[in-house]
Amino acid sequence: MRGRAINRLGELERAVMDEVWAAADRGATTVSVREVHEQLAESRHLAYTTVMTVMARLSDKGLLTREKAGRAFRYAAAGTREELTADTMREQLVGMDTEDRRAAMLHFLGDASAEEIADLKAALAEVEARHGTSAQG
Amino acid sequence: MARQQGFRRAPRAALVVWQSVALSAVVSACAAAPLAAVAALGPTGARAGLAARGAWSAVPVLLLTAPILARLLWSGHVVGTGLRRRRREHRTMVDVLGRPAGSVRVLAHPTPTAYCLPGLRRRVVLSEGAVQTLPPDQLAAVLAHEDAHLRARHDLVLEFFTVLHRSAPAWLRSPSALREVRLLVEVLADRVARRRTGPVAVARALVALAGARHPDTALGASGEAGGLRERLALLAEDDAPAWLSAAMYAFAAGTLAAPAAVIALGLGSMGA
Repeated sequence: MRGRAINRLGELERAVMDEVWAAADRGATTVSVREVHEQLAESRHLAYTTVMTVMARLSDKGLLTREKAGRAFRYAAAGTREELTADTMREQLVGMDTEDRRAAMLHFLGDASAEEIADLKAALAEVEARHGTSAQG
Repeated sequence: MARQQGFRRAPRAALVVWQSVALSAVVSACAAAPLAAVAALGPTGARAGLAARGAWSAVPVLLLTAPILARLLWSGHVVGTGLRRRRREHRTMVDVLGRPAGSVRVLAHPTPTAYCLPGLRRRVVLSEGAVQTLPPDQLAAVLAHEDAHLRARHDLVLEFFTVLHRSAPAWLRSPSALREVRLLVEVLADRVARRRTGPVAVARALVALAGARHPDTALGASGEAGGLRERLALLAEDDAPAWLSAAMYAFAAGTLAAPAAVIALGLGSMGA
């Protein structure tokens, strides 16, 4: 049950971000909670307060920026999906020192120098020779 | 010794050996002070000393053993909380920005990359670049590899060694031992992937991902090669023979038994 609730929250956060980006594509540089709720509630049961909470959380996480406009907030995406993704990945690759990054995530492979890559191709040839070049080994 | 290629062909056994050696070293270090006291005083002297001074005889033990234990516990706490915080923060971003595809999240980034976020809320993350670049069998190999890390909780093994590495005094640390353990963990996951897709798919995936690093995401020369050459070489080789694995496990059991035996002897001589 709990897992499903967390998935729903993640799915909701994604839906909100999608809507904010879509609104930006339509020319709306900022959006209000009400506008986002209207769009999302068309296809699901969603309380206004839920959307408000989600957007506040996204703002805390740095994915949305917000400004007070009168009594309500107006939100904007902190960047495009590609920009925010690149920031996340760069921060993960460069922001932490190598030791911490390697411990926090287990990457498929570490860093390779140019010489290593050339060597690798030679070594790959040996693997293929010994175990056949068919896709199923 | 353990860095011999032959031992790497039994990566799980090799990891067990490394863990046993490390554990017995820690136990020995903690037991050294009290044992030295017993040895110096002799059995009757130790008993007489204990009787005469009672609680005060615990002081040398506390002065020498307690700092080691304290350092270990502190290091464990710092490393553990730091790791989990970083993973949680990254997982948050991945959940929002990534496109879910089955149990995998795909990040919209052109550089082909693949990694997993271990822990109770685990994730496998691929980049869009990886999904576009790799043919299905190589993708399957990568996913099998990451899945192996998550299911076998390799992160806990690495955390164990990282904590020991950080708590050891600088002159006692062995960065090459840490590197070797990391390599063994990767080789172990490669083995699991190999069983599912065959060595060629895993090998090609390795080379494809290595050759496609985007310049600004590649780290500067950290001095450490990713062990890619070793991994490729080991992919071509069969598993180690059963007798070798058995011998390695026996060796591991032996290293654990040694400090236990010494402690038992020391305590026994006191009671004699």
